[in-house]
Amino acid sequence: MLAVIKKELKSYLLSPIGYIFIGLFLLMFSILFYNSIFSSGVAYFEYAFYDASTIMTFLIPVLTMRMFSEERKNGTEQLLLTSPRSLFSVVMGKFLAAMIVVLVTILGTFIHFLILQHFGAPDIRVALCTMLGFFLLCAAYVSFGMFASSITENQIVASVLTIGVFILMWFLPGVSQNFYNLSLMYMFDHFPEGVIALNEVVRFVSFAVLFILLTVIVLQRRKSVK
Amino acid sequence: MIEVRNVSKKYGDTYAVRNISFDVQDGEIVGFLGRNGAGKTTTMNMITGFIEPTIGQIIVNGIDVDSKPKKVKKLIGYMPEGTPLYTDLTVKEFISYMADLKCIPHKEKKEAVEKAIMETGLDKVRNRLTRNLSRGFKQRVSLAGALVGDPEILILDEPTVGLDPKQVKEIRELIKSFRKEHTVILSSHILTEVSQICEKVIIIDKGEIIAVDTPENLEKSVETKQVYIVTIEDTENKFEDVFKSDEQIKSIEKIKENEDNTYVYQVELKENLSDDKEFRKNFAIKCAENNILNLGINKEEASLEDAFIKIIEDRQELSNDEINEIQYQRELDDLRQAKQEKKERKEFVKEKRQELKEQKKAEKLEKKEKSETDSKEDEDDDKNEDSKGGEE
Repeated sequence: MLAVIKKELKSYLLSPIGYIFIGLFLLMFSILFYNSIFSSGVAYFEYAFYDASTIMTFLIPVLTMRMFSEERKNGTEQLLLTSPRSLFSVVMGKFLAAMIVVLVTILGTFIHFLILQHFGAPDIRVALCTMLGFFLLCAAYVSFGMFASSITENQIVASVLTIGVFILMWFLPGVSQNFYNLSLMYMFDHFPEGVIALNEVVRFVSFAVLFILLTVIVLQRRKSVK
Repeated sequence: MIEVRNVSKKYGDTYAVRNISFDVQDGEIVGFLGRNGAGKTTTMNMITGFIEPTIGQIIVNGIDVDSKPKKVKKLIGYMPEGTPLYTDLTVKEFISYMADLKCIPHKEKKEAVEKAIMETGLDKVRNRLTRNLSRGFKQRVSLAGALVGDPEILILDEPTVGLDPKQVKEIRELIKSFRKEHTVILSSHILTEVSQICEKVIIIDKGEIIAVDTPENLEKSVETKQVYIVTIEDTENKFEDVFKSDEQIKSIEKIKENEDNTYVYQVELKENLSDDKEFRKNFAIKCAENNILNLGINKEEASLEDAFIKIIEDRQELSNDEINEIQYQRELDDLRQAKQEKKERKEFVKEKRQELKEQKKAEKLEKKEKSETDSKEDEDDDKNEDSKGGEE
């Protein structure tokens, strides 16, 4: 697993993708932060995360679209799957590498907290709680993006599929309240209020676990279908 | 040792590989030969565990690929078709990643990577990105990836395709040097390559094995055609007329007309009528008699290429209906066999039961007899006692 993590991280940082992801997100986050402070006049660091969750809808696929589809297209999948490593460790390696990039990005937003700290006394517990929630949200997103990448060899299809499903999750609760429970974004809503709701944590984690396992199953299945 | 037993792979309704079986001994270099789409890659992929056979069993060093894939994968170094590489890594990084994936212990890794780099002659390019390398080097990097950690078995899918002649030669030499240390299976659609490197050739066509033999035997197995290439200057245009009537000659074909008014013909002799010296003598005399200037006569040697083409062409081309018919017959046979086996098993069980019954019966009888004799004895005893008592 460590070998895969190391290699994946290298790939993220040797190609522009990692920098685009981290740079774009931090740039947009700064703008959101600026807006919430100066336009709305609210001195809360956490509020920027509400809109940041919609940014992730479009940015996470940048990170996840190449995970398996690129390997499949280039044929390097054969190297990976004929090695004595288990499928689960390969999938987890890739997932964790992406999560490390996400973690670095989220930690990067902490600088805005320090800015607020300079002028006032924001609550660090609420800030950490929000970042935890955001991290869990991203874990769920990444796991789905990874799954989408495993079912196609076309990166564009993978990213469009991911964005499509995320947008559905975003808008469906507006159609009917029944969809409320399906929306990852609404699950995130309570974290910036400083509440860690156990059911929401469980939902994020189970969503992530579900799609990690589905990815393993897809790869496993391909062995007999291919 | 690799044992492939009755393996088939089906995609939808079509067979990519149908009921193939073969063995590869330790230290052997075996070549898979076949046209594109014959099933070479599919077979290799199944041995490496990348895909699963629909039916059949593959055993590597006594371990079943299907039930213990991890153990088998540790034994195998695989160079896939088309040399897939991680293009954002350098040569050294790539080989080192392959070593990591193969679970080579950290202590031995550096040495193993170094050895693979040296063996494949990648020393000069070790720090270059694989995407910037020429095709020949890419192929070597891929080979080094398979070689790292000295796996017992090397499976190389078209290792020399798309290389220039010098590179092809180098790679072939490299593969030859693996003899005895590694078991090698390589695929190719180029015969000269296989005949130069391999000790055994497996010819595969449309998913079925049609020949397994040494390159020499394959060559022998084809009746050698007697073909000569002759160059002549024929001002009176008599050549064809003169030689058409020759009883030794089967066919004459003009191949080329040179600028200096000479012609090149291909002359094929009738089979079994072929004494080389006799023909040459005869040919020279006839040419001289007819004012034809004989500029050269060369015999074409039968090659493995011919063997390959002949073997494949000789194979009956079956129509779809015929294939279905064969398939149907096979299934029918299987069913019959299954039925027969079932019947036999039933009979066997019946027999056993009968035996058991009889045994029990016999036992019972024995018991009965015993008890009867016992009771008789008892009675006798009683009688005796009675009589004894009476006497007393």
